[in-house]
Amino acid sequence: MNDRIIAQLINVSKYYGSGEGRVTALNHVNLSFFRGDIVVLVGLSGSGKSTLLHLLGCIDKQDEGNVIIDGIDTSSMSLEQLANLRLNKIGFVFQSFNLIPVLTAYENVELPLLFKGMDKKSIRQRVDEVLDEVGLLERKHHYPREMSGGQQQRVAIARALVSKPALILADEPTANLDSKTGAGILDLLMSLNKKEHITIVVSSHDSVVLDRIKSVVHISDGKIMVDEIALHNHIA
Amino acid sequence: MNSIKLASIALRNLFRNSRRTLITILVSSAGFAALAIVAGYMDFTFYGLKEMTICRGFTSSGGTGHIQIVKREALQKEERYPLEYGIADNEKIQALIASNKSIKATIPRIEFNGLISNGEKSISFLGMGIDPEKESELMHYWNALDKMSSKTKMDDSSYKKLELTGQNGVLLGEGMAKSLNAETGSSLMLMGTTVDGAVNVVDVTVAGVVKSTMKSIDRYYLVTNIPTAQSLMQTDRVSKIVVVLDKTDNTESITPLVSAAINGSGKPALFTAIPWDQLAEYYHSIRDAYRIIFSFTGIIVVVIVFLSCTNTMLMSTMERVREIGTLKAIGIANPWISLMFLFEGFFIGLMSLIGGMALKIIFSFIINNSGFRMPPPPGMSSTYLLKIYPATEFLPWIALLVMFSTTFSGLLTLLKIRKISIVNSLTHV
Ligand SMILES: Nc1ncnc2c1ncn2[C@@H]1O[C@H](COP(=O)(O)OP(=O)(O)OP(=O)(O)O)[C@@H](O)[C@H]1O
Ligand SMILES: [Mg+2]
Repeated sequence: MNDRIIAQLINVSKYYGSGEGRVTALNHVNLSFFRGDIVVLVGLSGSGKSTLLHLLGCIDKQDEGNVIIDGIDTSSMSLEQLANLRLNKIGFVFQSFNLIPVLTAYENVELPLLFKGMDKKSIRQRVDEVLDEVGLLERKHHYPREMSGGQQQRVAIARALVSKPALILADEPTANLDSKTGAGILDLLMSLNKKEHITIVVSSHDSVVLDRIKSVVHISDGKIMVDEIALHNHIA
Repeated sequence: MNSIKLASIALRNLFRNSRRTLITILVSSAGFAALAIVAGYMDFTFYGLKEMTICRGFTSSGGTGHIQIVKREALQKEERYPLEYGIADNEKIQALIASNKSIKATIPRIEFNGLISNGEKSISFLGMGIDPEKESELMHYWNALDKMSSKTKMDDSSYKKLELTGQNGVLLGEGMAKSLNAETGSSLMLMGTTVDGAVNVVDVTVAGVVKSTMKSIDRYYLVTNIPTAQSLMQTDRVSKIVVVLDKTDNTESITPLVSAAINGSGKPALFTAIPWDQLAEYYHSIRDAYRIIFSFTGIIVVVIVFLSCTNTMLMSTMERVREIGTLKAIGIANPWISLMFLFEGFFIGLMSLIGGMALKIIFSFIINNSGFRMPPPPGMSSTYLLKIYPATEFLPWIALLVMFSTTFSGLLTLLKIRKISIVNSLTHV
């Protein structure tokens, strides 16, 4: 196994429903993501982008094949082990931000660290650091309802980032934002990728995203259109 | 650390949907108050019943007092003739225990039976020979109870009448007086057996007609002076000595002292000191019945509180599916998420205790000042004033029950949380 690979899908399929109405959301996908890369998943609506991110993020189970995260096969992991894996290695950024409404920006970001059992002082340091990184340090005591969509998404990115995950998965992070704000979010993700060498996988319809990120995985009807080796060569 | 945060999230969520929270708290508070009031009512009933047993009793043989002294053999063997196992020198025995400061009075009594006749008609009676002055001590004890309201004072005027009528006066139960067509001043005859087995007759005068505690004994109820009873039976013995203490709670500690004092040391004990609760059959049967009723009420209230809280919790989980999914996606394990709801239940419980206490105090106050009278308990002849006692010794248990049902309903969310699929919840609107 190549230890430059952070995440790998081997012959992965995902189906919804059964019998006549069965939908093949992913069809025998083979795909590798390399450490430090930023990759964009593109494809038409319903092509399987979200499904792929869900499997990669271990919040859903594939019907066939193996998902390997940081060298570990997740197929036979228990729910608790998967939760632990997500807590330590994976950060999510969602289209609709999904902040906890009763918590301030600071508290939202702090949440994963609390459950990792970090001490109070290190938590404070790290949370301030990432809030600063996303440019919201002065807003740390604000509640989600007191912030704009773009700001909320920045908090969400800070939350994904705070536990220094190996992989950040962002499913259409700009879709609920206007193009200018979306561009800012994209800039942030790209700069994090560059500075912290975190692997980021973004799915998007957005032409702004496509124009800026060079590694692109095309997906259509649950199939990958670009060969993974070719993809890597393209980045290299 | 994280539990504190979860508790804080729980609290904030309670305020987020404050109307629903308020309704749940109200239901649980009402549950707490209902149980506390029922407990207070029970406490009142038991207390009243207990002191009533001691002061007036629910049989033809009067109030049990706190301790009764009888000859040991009277408990073990059947008497071949009246008062075979009676107490011969009762004054000496009274003197033996008189020095104890907790003992307020010692009352000799004779229990006897026979026929009473107006010359045309004879009916049987269950009689009690008393010393009216000493017997009044029980009423004085009752009237001095600070927990009893002034409206339930006992009145010793009938004993006074008995005393005034002199040697051969009798007090009759209402039923008996009616049956014999007798009234105060009527002359009647008592017929009974002497200790030698002969039949004896004594002329008596009705000193008064009384209402006894129980309807069923009213027809047989008769009270006379000790000398009258003794002359009927041709004896100088009494059946028992009733001991009145300063307070009922001292019964347990004084009983052995009384027993030791009357029996002296060494030789096999001649006398037995029986505490009142071994003589209180009616009290025990009523108490058992009330306990069952209370347990049922408790179960029903707990079920209502539990269901109402569970409903609230499940509604919250449904509403917050997306939030729960997010927490799961972040990698927070299900039990932690459930702990958050457990805290919500816990806080609802805590607030219900405060609300419940307030409701309880308000309702107790209203009830205690309403002057509402309860219908007579089974077999008894008079109504009584309804009171709710504080029942403080029950409150911790009721609080525990309420806390348990609200908190446990929070724990139940674990079942729901486990079923929530992250992917579905994230697309949930
Ligand atoms: N829960 C589900 N039940 C049934 N079918 C589903 C479910 N989720 C996804 N699908 C189907 O799986 C296929 C892939 O869906 P997916 O959400 O991955 O597409 P997508 O590329 O993310 O689309 P979009 O750009 O609209 O977000 C679609 O045909 C979709 O209808
Ligand atoms: Mg999608």
